[in-house]
Amino acid sequence: MKESGNFGQREAKKPFYFNTSSHLLRIGQEKATTLSELLHALHTCSSDSIFQHTFRTLQEHHFIREGFSNDFAHWAFSACNEPGLAERLAGLDVREYTDVEDIRHKIEEIVAGYIEANPASRERRSREPFYFCASEALVLPTPFVARSIQQFVEDLARVSIHSIHHHFIEARLRLKLSSNDFSQWLEEEDLPEASAQLNRIDIYTATLEDVRRQIILVVKHALA
Amino acid sequence: MDTANISSSPIDIAGHSGSMTGHGISSPTGMKRRKTDIHIDDTPPPPPPPPRLLDYEPIIGQAVLDELRYLAEALQGKSVKMVNSTAMGGGVAEMLNSLVPLIVELGVVTHWDVITGGNDFFEITKAFHNALHGGEYHLTRKTQEIFLQNNDQNRKRIQFDEDVIVIHDPQPAALISERDARNAKWVWRCHIDLSNPNAEVWSFLKPMVERFDAAIFSSQSFAQRLSVPQYLFYPCIDALSEKNKELDESYIQQICDDYGIDRSRPVVTQISRFDRLKDPLGVVKAYQMAKKYVDLQLVLAGGSASDDPEGAQVLAEVEDAAANDPDIIILNLPPWSGLQINALQRASTIIVQKSLREGFGLTVTEALWKSKPTIASAVGGIPNQVIHKLTGALVHSVEGCAYQIRYLLTHPDHARQLGKNGHEHVKENFLMTTNVKRWLLLLRFLLGAKEK
Repeated sequence: MKESGNFGQREAKKPFYFNTSSHLLRIGQEKATTLSELLHALHTCSSDSIFQHTFRTLQEHHFIREGFSNDFAHWAFSACNEPGLAERLAGLDVREYTDVEDIRHKIEEIVAGYIEANPASRERRSREPFYFCASEALVLPTPFVARSIQQFVEDLARVSIHSIHHHFIEARLRLKLSSNDFSQWLEEEDLPEASAQLNRIDIYTATLEDVRRQIILVVKHALA
Repeated sequence: MDTANISSSPIDIAGHSGSMTGHGISSPTGMKRRKTDIHIDDTPPPPPPPPRLLDYEPIIGQAVLDELRYLAEALQGKSVKMVNSTAMGGGVAEMLNSLVPLIVELGVVTHWDVITGGNDFFEITKAFHNALHGGEYHLTRKTQEIFLQNNDQNRKRIQFDEDVIVIHDPQPAALISERDARNAKWVWRCHIDLSNPNAEVWSFLKPMVERFDAAIFSSQSFAQRLSVPQYLFYPCIDALSEKNKELDESYIQQICDDYGIDRSRPVVTQISRFDRLKDPLGVVKAYQMAKKYVDLQLVLAGGSASDDPEGAQVLAEVEDAAANDPDIIILNLPPWSGLQINALQRASTIIVQKSLREGFGLTVTEALWKSKPTIASAVGGIPNQVIHKLTGALVHSVEGCAYQIRYLLTHPDHARQLGKNGHEHVKENFLMTTNVKRWLLLLRFLLGAKEK
């Protein structure tokens, strides 16, 4: 539990090392012009492709607060004119998954279910093809190392948005936990409530800058 | 800028090297003056010195700039050679003029060579270019010989001592024959749309392309099925170039005064060559349809048609369509009008790009960067930039374009939000600094460079 006094200044049990990740986009071999082709390609594409079109989409469009949760949903809406499918795909929250393969299975399930209920949509040609891409990632250290919670708050305000995405969103694939690096560290630093609160921040209705501000507010509030 | 690392048949990045080709306009009579006297030099001014990395900090922030430095740490002392077919003029040279000094500043030794060749060679490569865009072309044995001979002469002339060799576009593609003699990684950077290539020309080039270690395309839809890894590098704009840098309000006003643009009323602008594929006549029709409901002016500003008979004809047709409407302002500007184009874009209420066919559409990127509500056709690379109702409006017809003009002019809050999102989209994905990051990442992956 939190101690009174200068809790934020106290030396952390272990420092928080801020990293960042950079991604290069590889063009895949799969391409879909119908929902049945999409379903097939979803089955054969690499897990890096699923990662690209779900987790990375969120990062590439981090400045938008609405309507862009993943590439599959966007394509179903804008190129296939299938708003029902688009809504179901857009309802997928990547934070509920700790393994890309589970996301793949969920998307396949949604698309297969939709095709079964709407057989006329199966072979209808889309206005634009869906091109599968994949992400090749490189994790890099940054000079930011928080040795106290106060410093953690200050560094959060200074690191890039890519670093926030790396620790707050991508982390669950690495941790294999429904959590994130920030929450894990705060938990270890005896701030369990703040840790839990961070996991309730809605990343789909906020920009990543909004998310950064909310994280800072939660931690500052915990220190108050 | 440290030019010490930029060498060999070499390009001086400030643009003062030989072996360059000029532009079509040679006289001020090439400029169309419809409204008022327009004061633009009749020869291109010397290029400004390239920006330094630190100049970008106010634009992208220190944290993102630092990420480039972290990425480059493991590449210190590594070397790259860029090879293309022209030092000046054209998008590739423009991009390399900005890119190379930034990579050099990050500690990667970068050389830039330009291939040479006779008129017959460049006529063939021009024909290849058109054929790879889907045009008709019959490839003869003689043509192949000239292409390969010229590449071979360049292969003997150019040194290939770097760690990574980057060949831009098809003209120097046959330099890959040098690969076996070297221990370098070879990359083919294709800037053109290969989605529907002429089969004969592509069959000739494809075996060369498949000898590279990787290929890079500007859009997913431009790529071909290849046996080598393919990467997506979006084209980009330089936020500090004359075409995109911030301008003083007084300069923007001066340009509007010069061109007879009334800024107290809405201004809708399309910047593009007078080319049928840019559909300027469609834009005039959309304007006329929208004008029944909202007061507005239309600015059509583009490159000179003096060296393009069809362009001159299109320009004449546009002038006919505009008839005597004083609210249609047609500006035929020389290619070195970056500042004027910048001012016109910034003075606009809405920017339109109603192309029938498009490459990536960098004029769209420029408009989005200036936070302008943008209406654009869903063709080529435009849907990568304009996400309908989020970063702009995608249209498929004259009627759709007219409707979006009316809608955005009467819903300024929505228009402002589109502009704001569009700016952020470019900042994240289509700026020169993002391009630098992609190159650094690719070099890291190719060279397996570890952290120092």
